[in-house]
Amino acid sequence: MTEMPAALEFDSVSKEYRSVFSRQCLRALDGFDLRVEAGEIFGFLGPNGAGKSTAIHIAMGFMRPTSGQGHMLGRPFGDAWTRRHVGFLAENVALYHRRVDRLLCFYGALNRMGGTRLGERAREVLQMVGLQDQAKRNAGKFSRGMLQRAGLAQALMNDPKLLILDEPTSALDPLARVMVRELIRSAREAGKTIFLSSHLLSEVELICDRVAVLHRGKLVRLGRTADLLQSTEQTEIVTRGVALQDFAGAVTHDGVVSITVPISTQRGVMQRVWELGGEIVSVNPVRRSLEQVFLEVTADSQPPQTDGRL
Amino acid sequence: MLLIAFNFVREQRWPIFVLLLWVLLLAFLGLVADIPRMREDLLFLFKQVAVYVVAFSIFFGGSAIYNERKSRRILAVLSKAVRREQYLSGLVLGVTTACGIYCFALGLTGSWTLGAAGFPISRVWFLMVCLVAACMLAGTVALMFSTFLNPFLAAGATALMLGVPWIASQTVAARWAYVIPVSALTTTVLNSTFNVPGNTEWFPVCLAVLETAVFWVIAAKIFSRVDIAVAVE
Ligand SMILES: Nc1ncnc2c1ncn2[C@@H]1O[C@H](COP(=O)(O)OP(=O)(O)O)[C@@H](O)[C@H]1O
Ligand SMILES: [Mg+2]
Repeated sequence: MTEMPAALEFDSVSKEYRSVFSRQCLRALDGFDLRVEAGEIFGFLGPNGAGKSTAIHIAMGFMRPTSGQGHMLGRPFGDAWTRRHVGFLAENVALYHRRVDRLLCFYGALNRMGGTRLGERAREVLQMVGLQDQAKRNAGKFSRGMLQRAGLAQALMNDPKLLILDEPTSALDPLARVMVRELIRSAREAGKTIFLSSHLLSEVELICDRVAVLHRGKLVRLGRTADLLQSTEQTEIVTRGVALQDFAGAVTHDGVVSITVPISTQRGVMQRVWELGGEIVSVNPVRRSLEQVFLEVTADSQPPQTDGRL
Repeated sequence: MLLIAFNFVREQRWPIFVLLLWVLLLAFLGLVADIPRMREDLLFLFKQVAVYVVAFSIFFGGSAIYNERKSRRILAVLSKAVRREQYLSGLVLGVTTACGIYCFALGLTGSWTLGAAGFPISRVWFLMVCLVAACMLAGTVALMFSTFLNPFLAAGATALMLGVPWIASQTVAARWAYVIPVSALTTTVLNSTFNVPGNTEWFPVCLAVLETAVFWVIAAKIFSRVDIAVAVE
């Protein structure tokens, strides 16, 4: 069996935005390396302005990297013919003001789709994104959320092998988010690769196999979603029958007291709980929120690192 | 492929089309006020309305890419299996078609009104072909500049590029007008008196088509290199 080419591969890609008039120069991406394997759901995280969209736009061939290169489905970035197998949803998507079904046919036709299949597929994808009742409405009159659904439909028209979504759920209501999640899951079941950027971890952690965290154009974390969220430094000890004031930083809820401590001291704390006549319900590694991950990432500007447990 | 690209341009041109139809209405008004004594005025009006279209083509060509970028719609199109040069050909075709429809309508009204006013109208269609060729070339030049300049500068640069040969033709030698034959073609239209059949000179038309191809190649070369950096918010 030959090795499958990566679905998406960045090879020390850098991008500088230069302003024409001032000599200002902004490094949006800095030696960015990433390999997204075929068939995975990959979450691309980072605070606003981290360079996520920049990386995606380079992959789509809208821009050229200042240095470095990359491949998409085994072909260099910017190759038009490869894009036939790629679905792309831009951040704040904008579409032409036409009837949605015709619009979808137009975008499908740009990918060399044709014939009766085109109309059928348009109906299919409208169904998939829950716009089947709006098929005859003009996309110019859509709300942001509906537009985003239409954008998603447009990206799905060609039944892409690789689906690149730039903040796909930013304008969606909770119900629509669930829909997108289901859509992404079923796409993976069909063997597709999904690369989605977001600044919301709650979205990503539910569906992504792996995530990368980008900060100021640098890759700062890369690993399985669960690993990223699991702090290696802290544990939460849930106890019963102890007084809240006996432990600094303890919180109580549902009749239990939970104490968060560094791993190095967890043994001592557990012993104290027992000494005080308490009972230990559970000891769990602390799950961090993305905010914490971001904060950590911003605090230490160490070179890109990879979590060892890949 | 080109058809689809051009279809999309046409789609986007609807509002401007309405504008063009309004200008056409002006020509119709000339018809309503059909007095034989006004025939010179009618001719003047016809030529005026005819030459506007060249300005429109510069406007179309210069702003097409900018608008698409500004509205971020370009992303959904370029994310498909569309090469940059194909996109550009679509725009050239779109601009030409927009102007072509205008010229066709103008040709119809022109041959009707001027015919009614007693002018020999055999040359109207030839002049319209000249106009379309001029528009195609002017639009392509504007498009080329707009790949790296903003629409105002692109329109300015285009006007300069088309204007210089015209000035040279007025001051240095008449054949300068043929360097970029837009001015030659428009002056053909402007100088046409319709009183005599006049000679039908296809040379500038062919030259315009040829130069369109050249500018298209240059534009495609530049455009495939530029970054489509859309507005960030
Ligand atoms: N067209 C542009 N011109 C200049 N700077 C830009 C442009 N697009 C993005 N940037 C800058 O590049 C950085 C990364 O932006 P972006 O990739 O959009 O971030 P993200 O998508 O992660 O929020 C930001 O600091 C942004 O200001
Ligand atoms: Mg972004």
